[in-house]
Amino acid sequence: MKLTGALERVLRVMVADPSAPHYGYDLMKAAKLPSGTLYPMLARLQQDGLVDAEWEAQRQDAAGRPPRKYYRLTAEGLRVARLELAQAASGAPARRTGHGAARPAPGSTR
Amino acid sequence: MSPAPRVQRIAEWLIQAVCRRLPADVRTERCREWTAELPAILDGQGTRPSFLRALRVLSFCVGIFWTTRQLNRSARGSSRRRNAQWRTGAIRTRPPDVAVRAVRGLLIWLIIVAIALGIFTLLHPRGLPPVLPVALVLALAIGFDGFCLADIARAAQVRYLHKWTWALICLAQCPLGGILYLSIGHIGRPRPVPPGEPKP
Repeated sequence: MKLTGALERVLRVMVADPSAPHYGYDLMKAAKLPSGTLYPMLARLQQDGLVDAEWEAQRQDAAGRPPRKYYRLTAEGLRVARLELAQAASGAPARRTGHGAARPAPGSTR
Repeated sequence: MSPAPRVQRIAEWLIQAVCRRLPADVRTERCREWTAELPAILDGQGTRPSFLRALRVLSFCVGIFWTTRQLNRSARGSSRRRNAQWRTGAIRTRPPDVAVRAVRGLLIWLIIVAIALGIFTLLHPRGLPPVLPVALVLALAIGFDGFCLADIARAAQVRYLHKWTWALICLAQCPLGGILYLSIGHIGRPRPVPPGEPKP
């Protein structure tokens, strides 16, 4: 997983309250991301098993509002997110300086 | 009277139209998910002017369109991978050639320019000022040249000539240079160099 600025913001929001379910627009507002960035990212996280999605149960007080899909970090996702955020906070600036740093150095074997 | 229900209906229709691009197994669920977000977007701040809310919904739909693109791409793989699959016979239909994609992009751009022209004519029914045809040709030229230059800039390699030479040719001979580049000089998306191999 490559921690981009947008992903970092989403993970921060989700790690802040790991048990709280978030729906898409909620995350868009909290992380200040457009839908075109957020949903592909959530799909990727879900594919990697870091995020779980579940449908909201239909409530009586919802006033005809359709049930939403809620996203939540899995246990594995929480562990990975905390690790990545801690690494980012402890200053690994080379990881976030754009695509130039993402390439392996010439001659290095990964 | 609030225009929210009408905006919501239009947005729902847009989302449904966009979701038709997705594979059938995820289409309904995605459509339901995104439609359910609409009330939150529309009712979020009641004091906001309605056109801003409409704009917000529209940008949400544009993002959804982008998302379906990304989801489709990650589901089927890149065009390079699909080309390889087609050659080995894994998929039956041949993926569209770069020339086909270029012509399709040009057509879409033409339609956009035509719509803009139509709106302009509606607003000024007395006839078009003579600058307009020039502006139209300029818009087309800029669109096509921009496409070619962006392609050259993103390409890892180009055929026969240097990248800068191709860029100059594209700029100097507006439609012909670009067509020449796309038909002869264009190679395709860069192939990532596996670790351990020397870089070209």
